[in-house]
Amino acid sequence: MGSGFKERLHRLFYFSLSDTLVSLGILLAVSALCLLLQRFDRQNNFVSMLFVLAVFLIARITHGYFYGIAASLISVLTVNFLFTYPYFRFNFTLAGYPIAIVTMLVVSITTSALTTQAKRSAQARLEADREKTRSNLLRAVSHDLRTPLTSILGVSSALLEHDASISREERLALLRDVHDDASWLIRMVENLLTVTRMDRSGEEAVVKTAEAGEEILQSAAEKFRKRFPAWNLTVSVPQALLMIPMDAILIEQVLMNLMENAVFHASGADCLTVQLASSNRFAVFTVEDNGAGFDPALLPKLFTGGLAASAAADDRRRHMGIGLTVCSAIVRAHGGAMGAENLPGGGARVYFTLPLEED
Amino acid sequence: MNKQHILVVEDEKNIRSFLKTVLTSNGYAVLTAETGEEAVTLLSSHCPDLVLLDLGLPDTDGQVFIQAVRRWSRVPIVVVSARTHERDKVLALDRGADDYITKPFGTPELLARVRTALRHAEQRAAGSTPSRYRCQGLQVDCDKRQVLLDGVPVHLTQNEYKIVSLLARYAGKVLTYDQIIQHVWGPNAAGDNRILRVNMANIRRKLEGSPAQPKYLFTEIGVGYRMAESEL
Repeated sequence: MGSGFKERLHRLFYFSLSDTLVSLGILLAVSALCLLLQRFDRQNNFVSMLFVLAVFLIARITHGYFYGIAASLISVLTVNFLFTYPYFRFNFTLAGYPIAIVTMLVVSITTSALTTQAKRSAQARLEADREKTRSNLLRAVSHDLRTPLTSILGVSSALLEHDASISREERLALLRDVHDDASWLIRMVENLLTVTRMDRSGEEAVVKTAEAGEEILQSAAEKFRKRFPAWNLTVSVPQALLMIPMDAILIEQVLMNLMENAVFHASGADCLTVQLASSNRFAVFTVEDNGAGFDPALLPKLFTGGLAASAAADDRRRHMGIGLTVCSAIVRAHGGAMGAENLPGGGARVYFTLPLEED
Repeated sequence: MNKQHILVVEDEKNIRSFLKTVLTSNGYAVLTAETGEEAVTLLSSHCPDLVLLDLGLPDTDGQVFIQAVRRWSRVPIVVVSARTHERDKVLALDRGADDYITKPFGTPELLARVRTALRHAEQRAAGSTPSRYRCQGLQVDCDKRQVLLDGVPVHLTQNEYKIVSLLARYAGKVLTYDQIIQHVWGPNAAGDNRILRVNMANIRRKLEGSPAQPKYLFTEIGVGYRMAESEL
């Protein structure tokens, strides 16, 4: 209750140096313009119109109501002082004077209110968007977590209760399943943690530091080789060092997701090429496999979260959707873009761009 | 032969018993502690050869524990931490932890870290920091201030040589950005990672056949650099 009131008060009397300067600047400019125009037209009909325009602009540009109201009062006084007879003197006995004041105030308050409302609804739309992505993800994820957990629980209780009747080979096979399921769960959870890491830094923004692009590629490749030694992975980076502002942990996660997607979803693939290049102030990361490529029907839905949310998709495909949704959220938060296509000779290519450091 | 003792400080029961099983079956004697307080007591009464410390302890903050222990003991400390907590790792390393391992980890990785930390501690105790390094085709000789790649001298700038020789002296151990920067450029340069990145990129181009597939110099994202273990 108290904080709400304070907030409202804060909105009314929001003070900022830039807003003050902007308001004064506009008022001075309009006054100067009026003095100039006066040489051509002694009637002064344009003066009040121009000051209404000034008030409108100030209310539109500045935050809160304060500057608009202040500007309308100053305008009324300025018009009185400079542009109405007697010149360079205040005269509050003019006919219609209260009406002029009220008109200015109404213009300023209405504009401020409309502007604030527009800003707030844009904010609300953004919020709703983010909320929707989050709930889609949550729904998909909680459903997905159940399957491997059920299997882990089942296997472990089988081993606990029927140890004597299970052969050594069977036991090893069961333990391998548990291992696979647990690795899958870890990957899923790492992606979720990545999402919370972005949330924590707030407002869709990420904390960026200038990193050497090749080091990120290198580190991701190192981890990939350890995890999937059977895969033929080729990494290439440009001769020139590319410094890219980024949250390195997040971008490494993007690369890991893209490479793992090839392992789990590209049927028939055994070769992976990861590339870093620069083009036009952007760094371009590319991951290519030699598998069967994307189902063309899925291509447009890959990064929108649609794949993750669609109930029809089976678990594995949905997991790919979650990984890609996370990737594209990370890349967008960095001011980059993401895309996917099928290669003419077979195989899939996924790429993303990140803005390079400006010199 | 006497077994080496490892103190595992971990509050999660399941992870504690998993670590204990792995380490015991690889020939180490294992002590366990659930809290930082308990760990300090065990440390002074049993003098273990190494501490494996989970940074997310409930009572004492792991960081405080490291700081407290470093006042009176040089026992190697290997920190266990989550992937996304790179700042915690850097802090722990800068406060005197010897190495870190990221959850989730496989047993080979765990054992490798433990072995490296134990060996470094032994070398330190014997008062012999190795002045020579060799791994595959790369040789670093700190007495002659020389770096050879497949027998051919490599021309490095003064700063590049300082970085390479520092990493070689602590081969196998991760060094944080700040540790390297302070060693090469002095304490006032701390925080300026860019100059280090540029130097590392140049070194990679001189020492590694392909900068994207390193054999000697490894990047630990958000933390620092590590040089491959010496074969000497």
